[in-house]
Amino acid sequence: MSTENLLIPLMIIIPITCALFLNLLHEKSRVVKIISVIVALLLPTIPLLANYGIQYFGGYAPLAQNPTIATGLPSFITGSALNIFHPAITYVFGSAQKLMITILGFVALFAIFISLYEVKKPSGVYIYLILMGVASVMAMLLSDDIFNLYVFFEIAALTQVGIVLVSKVDHNYETALKYLIVGSIASPMLLLGIALLLGVTGNVNITDIVYSIKTGLVDPHSPVLLMAGSLIIFGWLYAAGLPPFHTIKSAMYSKALPTGAAVLQAFSVFTFVAIGVIILRIFSYLHFAEIFILGISLIAMVLGITMAITQTDFKRLIAFLAVGELGYIGVGFGLGTVFGITAGLFQAVNEAVITALLFIGFGTIMYKTKETELKKLGGMLVETPKSAFLVLLAGLAMAGVPPFNAFQSKLMLVQSSLNSGLPEVAIIMVLLSIVTFMTFMRAFHTIYLRPKPAGLVIENENIPRVTIVAMVCLLIICLVFGLYPQLATNYLQGLAMGIA
Amino acid sequence: MNIYDFILKKIKDVKMETGDEGPVTNISATSMLTAEITIISSLLIAVVMLRLLNRALMMAMIVIVFLIIFMAMPIMPKLKREQNDSLATMSFYVIVALAIIVSLFYWGNLNV
Repeated sequence: MSTENLLIPLMIIIPITCALFLNLLHEKSRVVKIISVIVALLLPTIPLLANYGIQYFGGYAPLAQNPTIATGLPSFITGSALNIFHPAITYVFGSAQKLMITILGFVALFAIFISLYEVKKPSGVYIYLILMGVASVMAMLLSDDIFNLYVFFEIAALTQVGIVLVSKVDHNYETALKYLIVGSIASPMLLLGIALLLGVTGNVNITDIVYSIKTGLVDPHSPVLLMAGSLIIFGWLYAAGLPPFHTIKSAMYSKALPTGAAVLQAFSVFTFVAIGVIILRIFSYLHFAEIFILGISLIAMVLGITMAITQTDFKRLIAFLAVGELGYIGVGFGLGTVFGITAGLFQAVNEAVITALLFIGFGTIMYKTKETELKKLGGMLVETPKSAFLVLLAGLAMAGVPPFNAFQSKLMLVQSSLNSGLPEVAIIMVLLSIVTFMTFMRAFHTIYLRPKPAGLVIENENIPRVTIVAMVCLLIICLVFGLYPQLATNYLQGLAMGIA
Repeated sequence: MNIYDFILKKIKDVKMETGDEGPVTNISATSMLTAEITIISSLLIAVVMLRLLNRALMMAMIVIVFLIIFMAMPIMPKLKREQNDSLATMSFYVIVALAIIVSLFYWGNLNV
């Protein structure tokens, strides 16, 4: 990897700077629109153009790679572990980060475009929150420094609350406040876990922490280290929306605007990956950690999908399905093999795209009717035939129907669990995919196929063309990764090999 | 009373508790029944994984879990009641989860 790569920090700096700028300009609609379009286009473009590399902030490369500084230092420094430790905040941009950041960029790009064209007066504050969230999650994916990751985790959590607060949806303030309160239990626990890790290893760089544990510089079964592991895993459950946080997470999705929900779920998916990868890197020597990840993922799948079936609000239904789908990613991580982790990462990429497509697609129903209750909806196929067709394909993709992307990742997960000698996990995954399909078809039938209820008022406004274009683009990504899965898995395999 | 009527009664009870005035439709009853079957089958399949520890334990646990499920049926209305948006319920489960995770990691890894 080349070390100097200025595009790596720009992935974070550009959205944050523009976000702050937009916040000041929120009354000037035209300027907000122009800046938002430019930044939105840059979000997936920069990671696509950037070369792989490592970036050091506030320090220098390890002494072993830096002979200029190392020369003249005493041998007790250059001859010890200090020689390879990272004194700077390190950002690593590899192939897996490239794919995931690009996909996150595309989801944010479409969310920003739709939000700009669906409203007459674009809100600088709303775009500010989306950009700050995107920058934070990108930083979490890049950072090799666990404290730096925590800072961005907090910013991402606050921007998620902000996105819900500025959405004009009933009871949004209440849900956002509840998320903050629940977060005030989980976030300090994560920080305490990081502090304990720092106390034991004397380091916040993840590569250095792993080195210290693997080479015996630190006792791997130190009680403080075990406590740190448990607290970091607890924080991970909150960040990702795994049980017991699945209820509040799904409530957050359902109280945001469709574009907000699309980016919120992408934040959750990639935060899940960012912290999950760190947990596997540091604590994979504890076999129990993998068993725990597998167990909590199965619980998330079962609770998320069974709760989805019983919902009467279609946004909440998709929200619970999104939580359930997170469980599939976790199963891949919990299996702990290269193939399993690759499948989990692939599922993460797929889920971010499919769920965004579903939220945007079902958002067209809200746009036309201002209604989310299933019992009050019906006959929408006549009103929105194009988006109905796209939503149907998105639903098939989520359930794992070929030739879409989730079919490939779920098939890989099933194969991986069979290879690991756990056919029960494979059976549960197949069973829940069938139930996902049924849940989606129930919602689709209710909204689009049954006769229109007498009291349903449908607005005469056409769905903006940008919304349909965004849905088609997301569907193309689903189809391409479904037909050529190696386009994604080749990018993800390196990271999986590094942590398995 | 057959199982369908029994589940219907439980759904009505939950609806009354949550203040939901709407009628119990075929769709909501079928959905609850599907969720019920899904959760029971997933639970029983998951228990089979105990074979990796001990086959006798697995068989005993399957019988025990089956009996518990049979006595606690229908599970889904109870589960739905617990997974509401109440801050008190959420906070309770968050604290319980924290206690379980810390205990499992701390003592589970020290004493094996």
